[in-house]
Amino acid sequence: MDDIDSMFSDLLGEMDLLTQSLGYEMEPSEMSSSSQRENNFSIGFTDLNESLNELEDHDLDALMADLGSDLAETEERLNATKTGHVHTQQHKFGYCTQQQNVQAPISLSQMSSLASSSSSSSLPPEPPKLLPPGEAEAQAKTDKIKLALEKLKEAKVKKLVVKVMMSDGSSKTLMVDERQTVRDVLDNLFEKTHCDSSMDWSLCETNPELQTERAFEDHEYLVEPLSAWTRDSKNKIIFLLRPNKYLFFKDPQIFYLWKKDQKFMNEMKESHKELLLKENFDGPSLIVPDLEGLLYLREDGKKSWKRRYFLLRASGIYYVPKGKTKTSRDLACFIQFDKVNIYTTTDYKQKYKAPTDFCFILKHPQIQKESQYIRFLCCDDEHTLSLWVNSIRVAKYGATLYKNYQMAVRRVSTISSTLHLTSLPASSPSTPSTVHRANGHTPQEDLPEPHPDFIPPPPPGWGSGV
Amino acid sequence: GHLDGHLMVLGKVVMAAWDLSVAVEDLGADAPPITVSVTSDLHIGGVILKLVEKSQVKRDWSDHALWWEQKQQWLLRTAWTLEKCGIQADAGLIFMPQHKPLRLGLPNGLNLRLRVCFSGPVFRTVLGICKMLNIRRPEELSLLRPVEEKKKKKDKDLSEELYDLTEVPLTSGTHYDIIMSPSTNHMSRPCLYNGMPAHFADSPKTEKVYKMLSVSQPAPPPEAIAKLYRPASVVDKAHIHSRWLDSSRSLMQQGVQENDRLWLRFKYYCFHDLEPKYDAVRLTQMYEQARWAVLLEDIDCTEEEMLLFGALQYHINKLSLSEPQTMTSSPAMDDLDSALQCLEVKLDGADSSPQDMLLIPTACEAVITVYFCLRPKRLTLKGYKQYWFKFKDASISYYKSREESLGEPIQQINLKGCEAAPDVNIVGQKFCIKLLIPAPEGMNEVYLRCENEEQYSRWMAACRLASKGKSLADSSFQSEVQSIRSFLAMQQTNPNTHNTHTDDSTSINTHSLVSPRYSKKYKAKQLTPRILEAYQNVAQLSLTDALLRFLQIWQALPDFGISFVVVRFKGSRKDEVLGIAPNRLIRIDLGVGEVVKTWRYNNMRQWNVNWDIRQVAIEFDGNVNIAFSCVTADCKIVHEFIGGYIFMSTRSREQSNTLNEELFHKLTGGHEAL
Repeated sequence: MDDIDSMFSDLLGEMDLLTQSLGYEMEPSEMSSSSQRENNFSIGFTDLNESLNELEDHDLDALMADLGSDLAETEERLNATKTGHVHTQQHKFGYCTQQQNVQAPISLSQMSSLASSSSSSSLPPEPPKLLPPGEAEAQAKTDKIKLALEKLKEAKVKKLVVKVMMSDGSSKTLMVDERQTVRDVLDNLFEKTHCDSSMDWSLCETNPELQTERAFEDHEYLVEPLSAWTRDSKNKIIFLLRPNKYLFFKDPQIFYLWKKDQKFMNEMKESHKELLLKENFDGPSLIVPDLEGLLYLREDGKKSWKRRYFLLRASGIYYVPKGKTKTSRDLACFIQFDKVNIYTTTDYKQKYKAPTDFCFILKHPQIQKESQYIRFLCCDDEHTLSLWVNSIRVAKYGATLYKNYQMAVRRVSTISSTLHLTSLPASSPSTPSTVHRANGHTPQEDLPEPHPDFIPPPPPGWGSGV
Repeated sequence: GHLDGHLMVLGKVVMAAWDLSVAVEDLGADAPPITVSVTSDLHIGGVILKLVEKSQVKRDWSDHALWWEQKQQWLLRTAWTLEKCGIQADAGLIFMPQHKPLRLGLPNGLNLRLRVCFSGPVFRTVLGICKMLNIRRPEELSLLRPVEEKKKKKDKDLSEELYDLTEVPLTSGTHYDIIMSPSTNHMSRPCLYNGMPAHFADSPKTEKVYKMLSVSQPAPPPEAIAKLYRPASVVDKAHIHSRWLDSSRSLMQQGVQENDRLWLRFKYYCFHDLEPKYDAVRLTQMYEQARWAVLLEDIDCTEEEMLLFGALQYHINKLSLSEPQTMTSSPAMDDLDSALQCLEVKLDGADSSPQDMLLIPTACEAVITVYFCLRPKRLTLKGYKQYWFKFKDASISYYKSREESLGEPIQQINLKGCEAAPDVNIVGQKFCIKLLIPAPEGMNEVYLRCENEEQYSRWMAACRLASKGKSLADSSFQSEVQSIRSFLAMQQTNPNTHNTHTDDSTSINTHSLVSPRYSKKYKAKQLTPRILEAYQNVAQLSLTDALLRFLQIWQALPDFGISFVVVRFKGSRKDEVLGIAPNRLIRIDLGVGEVVKTWRYNNMRQWNVNWDIRQVAIEFDGNVNIAFSCVTADCKIVHEFIGGYIFMSTRSREQSNTLNEELFHKLTGGHEAL
């Protein structure tokens, strides 16, 4: 543990150095926060020490463990190099930080971000087996190239320490690097929490100022949306079950055949559901449900809500202008999805005098506060809201969302069959092996980080039906 | 027959000989028919033999067969006797080749003269044509009679350039070949020589034709688009579908004559197993069909979609002209292996340590002055101020002066995720970049006013890359600058007067890229910037990817793939429209123009046609029965559409190399198939 301690203090030292080198202050103009990264560089570092002090004990432990496993990984590689099997890799921590909100102890979400850049030399690994000379050479070369590729990726990896709120009010602290997808982080949390690994588990961002909520999609890189948060953000990340997450794929008929009656929906055969998915997702082009109907629109700057007829198309949301028909060429574009995300809301009846509480907004992810660039829509009921929100997700993310779902299905079945047998190897090479240390229990055996090429052998009992 | 048998028992053929006269087409229309002496038990093959002998013409007669004009049928079963065929002395038979030239209009507007099969069912004729043209999955295409264009006589000669392929030798695939092995690999990947099938690689002339088949055609002038027939209503669209030929019968049987004009089109809108590598012609023609459907408003789309289609056309045009070889090279290295191989080459070439490789530049600096203005509250242009600007990575920084640019900037703005829109007026020499930069409080608007066209092009390109998080060092920077320049050039050359400047590869009239409706609605100077705006999202696509993207957006349109027929539902007293889509039938009220009801094929129990009263009846799950008669098209066409789509849905990836022709006919043939 001495090593870890000394490394940690090294780390803090480096942070200080870096702060000093970033001496300039942004002019407090209205654009001061337009660049989040630059902003974070300019934030004073005394806060970090404070925030570390504020950290609850077990969170600090977990953070140390994360850093420790990085160290262990490095050591592992160093040792391996001596025997000539694996490559040298040293981690040197460059530093930047993102500070936390220390006033509210449970709202901590990002504490610091580490940019770890690796500089190392590599030795070609010895071939594992005796191979014919030509083949061995080719093998060595392939390995070398793989390593080179890996290093290209490894350079300047941004890391964040993230506090995730559980639905029971407790929290878990994780280190997330910028190459980790939400899927990776969810898997990590499955291990840490021993939850039932339902595919409805989601990581969700809440913004108390806008009273919005958005579940991150599994393919998103978690660090990216978090980078948009402001320094004084009260946003939180919550780990919770959201039945809406993959409803679209579990019951596609609700969306694709939305005009049919309830009875028809409920009697839908599984095979017909599959066919619907196949028709709309497996073709060369993705088909978006042909939603249309009256919604309330909050007009720019005004406080009133106006009813308009809206239509969803793959290319965006449209409305029927006054005195026009529903034909495509007459439609006016309301919004396209490239640059905006969709958020659900709470209590907009009170906040914005919305006709109902079933509202959603569309905004650029960078926008964190009330602004004329946010689009507000309001539905008559919860069902309509679910139709629009989920269909818009499909229009925005397309086949990616379907792939997320398929992966979630596979993951759920894998996890449930291997649970308690083995911990899954982390999918990204830099993902620290997790150490579970909740409430002072003894940690599990810490497995060394596998080599990037390492393919885990199937766990015992795999597929044996036991 | 039994009678024959009886006669044979007597040991002696007692049949009387009689004269059969047959016209031989090859001898010319004026030549008298050849008369041969036959008996009723002579088989067709024997008749042909006698004919050939008597004609005394030495040539290859193997493609010839007998056509029974009166009955409009071919006598293709050579083992059948005259008696069995029902032929008597008065039958007017014609001896003619089964393959004849046909003028074929392709989706891209190209007209070919092609030797095709006139004797087999049209389904098989299409197989032959597609094999010749190297189009896989021929079952998705069919032939239809062209729309007669109401042209003035003087126009008539200009348009139709005909490319003759009748002399192109086909290595295989004659009529008999196909008959012998109905499941030959029509879908399999063809062997290519020099990027084209062997029979095209024969002469420079045919090579040129193949290029025209496999590379999309340049944008037509807007005047030409405006002249073409455009369906104005659903009923107009329905009339087009009355022109499809019957797949179960031959061209001759449907009155198609030698050298007649027909169109080859994709008929069933479910494109199976599209592989750009092998489907150069198929993909290009599909794109062309889609493009013309959009340009001629055969399919409805919104303005935003039209602009995106326009931008993609522009991009595809440009790429097709500049690098026609892109199709053959694989566009993306999508697996690690190829990426590794690529790296390997680099390593070999440099013969140096991997360290060198890490020195790929990630930052590049360009120092340009711009006038800069912050317009916080929609002020006038008074707010413009001049600063010294630097562009680095994906950020711009500005300084009071050049001298101070070594120190700390007044401000640094990261452009990732921003929107960069042009605000350009060439006549007024105004070159502004409007930046919308997302920030926690909303979007910040920044206007950068550049000094000239050149500076604008470079800074605009840089802003666009930065908005995607790319730096100036990105390989696409130069091409981005280039495309912005060419768009600026278009705005200069286009205003109002259509001086027919030489068709330089980059100058395209943007009015050629949208349907006449939008040509009329917008002037070029309004249209061009909007297409440019849409273009920035597609500018980096490879040719193949751009074609695929165009098809994807087309296929995502709500009205995609619906073929219309005017029908009269049983019990209804007015005409309605039936839409036939790949997965469903749609009932559309003509008055309101709205979908009244949808039935999906997978809920369909059975369908059948009462050929006597020409009525189609369909039963769906849950005791839903519908029946209708067809007004604008024959009910065989509707029957074939429904059966065809059901056939298409039976195709699977596993058996991608076989075409179950028998099943197709079973599902689409109707009473002819029985």
